[in-house]
Amino acid sequence: MWVSCRRWRLRARRRWSREKQETTLCALSLFLVCVLSACAFVLPADLLLPLAAVNGLLVLHGLAHRGSIMGVVKLGVIQLTITLSLYLLLYGVDHLAQGAVVVGRIILATIPGWWLCITAAPERIGEVLSAFLPSKWAFVVAASLSLLPYMADEVREIYQIQCLRGARITPKALRNPKNWPELVYCVLFPVLIQLLKLSRQMAVAAQSRHFGKSTRATHWHSPRDKK
Amino acid sequence: MKLLELDGVSFNYGSQLAPVLQELKLSIGAGQCHCVSGPTGSGKSSLLNLLAGVLSRPHEGDIWRHPELVTGLVMQDPQTQLLRQTVGAEVAFALENLGIPAENMLPKVQLALRRVGLFLRLDTPVSTLSLGQKYRLMIAAQLVCEPHLLLLDEPWAQLDDHGVSELLAVLRNLIAEGMALVLVEHNAAAFAEIIQHYWQLEAGRLSEGIYTVNDAPVQDVPVRAWGGAHHLGKVLVSAEAFDFCFDGCQPLFSCPQGFQLHAGEIVTLVGDNGAGKTSLLKSLAGMLHLKLRLPLKVLGRKPKLGVYGAELGLLLQRPSRQLFETNVLAEMQFSLNRFELPTARAEQMLLDLELSALAEQSPHKLSYGQQHLIALASLACLQPKVLLLDDPLAGMDKEYYRKVWFLLKRLSAQGSAILMTSHRLVEHSAVSRQLSLRQGLLAEEAIGMEERYVG
Repeated sequence: MWVSCRRWRLRARRRWSREKQETTLCALSLFLVCVLSACAFVLPADLLLPLAAVNGLLVLHGLAHRGSIMGVVKLGVIQLTITLSLYLLLYGVDHLAQGAVVVGRIILATIPGWWLCITAAPERIGEVLSAFLPSKWAFVVAASLSLLPYMADEVREIYQIQCLRGARITPKALRNPKNWPELVYCVLFPVLIQLLKLSRQMAVAAQSRHFGKSTRATHWHSPRDKK
Repeated sequence: MKLLELDGVSFNYGSQLAPVLQELKLSIGAGQCHCVSGPTGSGKSSLLNLLAGVLSRPHEGDIWRHPELVTGLVMQDPQTQLLRQTVGAEVAFALENLGIPAENMLPKVQLALRRVGLFLRLDTPVSTLSLGQKYRLMIAAQLVCEPHLLLLDEPWAQLDDHGVSELLAVLRNLIAEGMALVLVEHNAAAFAEIIQHYWQLEAGRLSEGIYTVNDAPVQDVPVRAWGGAHHLGKVLVSAEAFDFCFDGCQPLFSCPQGFQLHAGEIVTLVGDNGAGKTSLLKSLAGMLHLKLRLPLKVLGRKPKLGVYGAELGLLLQRPSRQLFETNVLAEMQFSLNRFELPTARAEQMLLDLELSALAEQSPHKLSYGQQHLIALASLACLQPKVLLLDDPLAGMDKEYYRKVWFLLKRLSAQGSAILMTSHRLVEHSAVSRQLSLRQGLLAEEAIGMEERYVG
């Protein structure tokens, strides 16, 4: 009885290969992210606190994976500033709390996505998505996710270059709303142009590496390097 | 065995636009190595795309391909070809598309990486690689499919000398095994030992021979005797002994003696791909925020982004990223306006560089060399006290090379301290000193008369 149980476990372990584990884990993560992000928008306000606690765990897990939360924090601060200013102008002081809740929901919807980008490889997400999406769409999603850290670096570098060129986009200069358009055409326009160029060149790069040739594309699983 | 043949092929990017390629005739056989040279913006990259079959627009004329032909294309900028986040996944991408079972991928990926001399963990993030290492990664990503025809766009400009010699050894073996190779290269001499057929592409026409203009510098007589006199200039940049390391990482390099930059001198910072040259320039400009503060002083203060105004200029690689105005003149006048300097300097600069014809053109439609020069000229207009240039000579043909040096010499004469990086020795009479960044050590290196420009 004991021996047969061990055999079954060994067989199951063999079947439950590391590759399958990774893919299944990624699929579960993706599902969790969808659920949590949806919850951020549909849950009543009094349930947002427990949701924030769950998100807090994701943040801790992401930080343990050497992720940087600064981007999300900056996004939150900018969102909060703009939203609260608009609420103040349109509805007065009484409705500021409502504005803060709206921003809170946006942040709670963003954190699971940030966590997924930190903990799952884009190609794994692509593999999961290819199970129920056309492979080209899955590739576009995976490539876009791969592009995020690069584009974040590009945005930062373009911003810094333009600061050096004298653009009025330093944090101090941006306190004056008159300088906000400068941020758009000095940073946002070059970034958009870069994105357009990049998407075209990436399409050529993918094509030159036989993308779309096989109807049954396989998926790379990186072996864990043995130290 | 014939692999590919072009017969009277013409191509343009729009029916209203002038043809980029006209009446091309070219035949490529197994084991052959062809090199195409030509001026910047002459359509060399379009020719490679045409050969690879990745052009989105139709062409005129006949292209015959061997039914089983597998081509591999490595474009000029490796950064725009990266599709994955780790080295292993990047190389395996083509295998995925060919439906190779996952368990068979590993040995192929490892072999491809070994062939290009990249000995890295498969989980290494591609973002941590230098530009040269990324170029080699792109070659590995093509070699993994064992192509019959490999198309390389300007490898010399992207790779350091060590990388070029390693690539040469790889290509020599591949050609011996029957792979055909088409190189687009300004500096054909660097690959002379493997090239069998030379072509030049000018005004869309392909003809046999080597394009007479190359980007190797004119062999000026080194005038380093006055180097000492230059050192009498005011110290504008100084660094005490330091170790450079990114947060949580091992030191990338150390500088046990420190270094200084004086007014009026042009100093080159030479090191292999990934040595840390760009990171050092960014640190000097205050763009890098490291936990470990470096003992650097630029213009008498610790580097901080944006505090130097017009007194510090930095030109990074891929200058097209910073262009946003609708015409070249407005682009050049942007910083002059912001720093309240005379905008007439921009027009004068275009005149001096014989580029007035570009003044009303969109900066986005210029060739790489033109964009680079315009970005550099925009900085030169400011007459900065310190100018930091990241590989400003890469991919330049002789005409632009001459103009870059004209600008640098003029700025130097006006008292600017110029620090420029390169992954190979820059042999030019205007260079005062050389800092070497090799094997994790940054130190001043004497430039001997016997040393010559590589390539």
